[in-house]
Amino acid sequence: MESGIRVFLLSAALALGGCASIHHLFHRHSDDGTQASADTSASAANGEESDSNPPRVIEPQVERRKIKVPQIHSHNWEFGVQYGALSIENFGTNPVYGLMGAYHITEDFFLQGSFGRSQGGLTSFETLSNINLLTPSERYYTYYDLALGYNFLPGEVFIGRKLAMTSSFYLLAGIGDTDFAGDNRFTVSFGGGYRVLPTDWLSVHVSVEDHVFQSDLLGVDKLTNNLEATLGASVFF
Amino acid sequence: MQRLPSVCCLLIVLLLATPGPCGAREYLQVFVVVPYLEMHTGPGRGYPVFNVVDRDQSVDVLVRYTEWFKVRTERGLVGWVSEDDMVRTVLADGSPFTFNRGDRAGFTSHRYEMGLFAGSYGGATLISTYGSWSFNSQLAAELAVGQFLGNVSTGATVDLGLAHVFLPDWRFSPFVTLGTGLVHTEPKTTLVQPVNRTEQTAYVGGGVRYYLSRRFFLRAEYKSHVVFTKLNSNEVVDEWKVGFAFFY
Repeated sequence: MESGIRVFLLSAALALGGCASIHHLFHRHSDDGTQASADTSASAANGEESDSNPPRVIEPQVERRKIKVPQIHSHNWEFGVQYGALSIENFGTNPVYGLMGAYHITEDFFLQGSFGRSQGGLTSFETLSNINLLTPSERYYTYYDLALGYNFLPGEVFIGRKLAMTSSFYLLAGIGDTDFAGDNRFTVSFGGGYRVLPTDWLSVHVSVEDHVFQSDLLGVDKLTNNLEATLGASVFF
Repeated sequence: MQRLPSVCCLLIVLLLATPGPCGAREYLQVFVVVPYLEMHTGPGRGYPVFNVVDRDQSVDVLVRYTEWFKVRTERGLVGWVSEDDMVRTVLADGSPFTFNRGDRAGFTSHRYEMGLFAGSYGGATLISTYGSWSFNSQLAAELAVGQFLGNVSTGATVDLGLAHVFLPDWRFSPFVTLGTGLVHTEPKTTLVQPVNRTEQTAYVGGGVRYYLSRRFFLRAEYKSHVVFTKLNSNEVVDEWKVGFAFFY
């Protein structure tokens, strides 16, 4: 009897174990099948997506900065005042004052325009005879001059051990107009000067020029030479 | 009340002594990519070299004077560098540092021109200057101012017009002009009382320009002016002039 019971229990245990193993085997196969089908569908979906849309690039959320390049300032223009003496042929030497402007084209050449005014004195004839050849308004000597300048002998001026200022001699040749004694005359000017720059924007200069024009004021048509020496200061901008 | 002037003086001194709103100006920074960059003591080829900036170092560009740049190194040294050397530097992003140069390419395409002429206006001696602003390499607006000094009369002219340049990339390039202007005439004293007059003009003309070197070129020009007088017929005045000009 006891052996029959043991056989029955063993048979039941084997039967349950076999069912469990079969069930587990079945479930494992079904899981594999589900995963395989899921992988298959996923790969198919990815294949479709790669065919239709290119892979996305992450857009940066940072605004692109606009870089503003600083401007470079140029100091080629020069503007200033000048004061000195003008010797008007036959009419004595008198103070002259004026304005000047220049554009520096290269380190060698510059274009300069100048404007000046003076007043003629008495000729020796007028002094001796007490006869006035010109009215007071006709004695004003007004000129302008457009000249090409050439820098030569550039150098430096040293003051003490720590201060050095650039300097240069220059030549001028130009054309212009002179209004004197009630008439305008075509005038050729030439001369030279010396310039010192205490700073990059300030210039101090002395110059000597000869203004030459044809005049028949005293009865004989001749070239008159009118020498001018000035001291000036100008700024670069 | 007597203290008012002294108070004002004190305020002025304080204003001058007080540093203003931070005026820190930004300067362009360029980097040296050649073995070294030479710095001169002045803006000229004759000034001695006193410092060199090594490769990969930077300089701040402070100001430009003709063909020279005043720069400041990272160590605070200040000197002048020629544009021939500066053209071989680069900006912070690695792009080359470019700027307007006085060369043949600049002659072909530039923004501004100025020039000085001598010539004849209706037989009178003419002094003239002009300035132009270019729309492109071929078309420019021009303003010319002149003074003529003759035996019979003196006067001044102002012309405003357009100039069209043919073959701007050639060294020898012709151009045509068209425009309008004013002429102010002052007859010299005669037996009858002279009357100054100002009249409108229109002109057509042409000329040639010839590139010399750097920023310079020669320019010769002819204009035929029609002066709209108050008489029965208009007056035609020929103007020719020769001079030099430069661009920038």
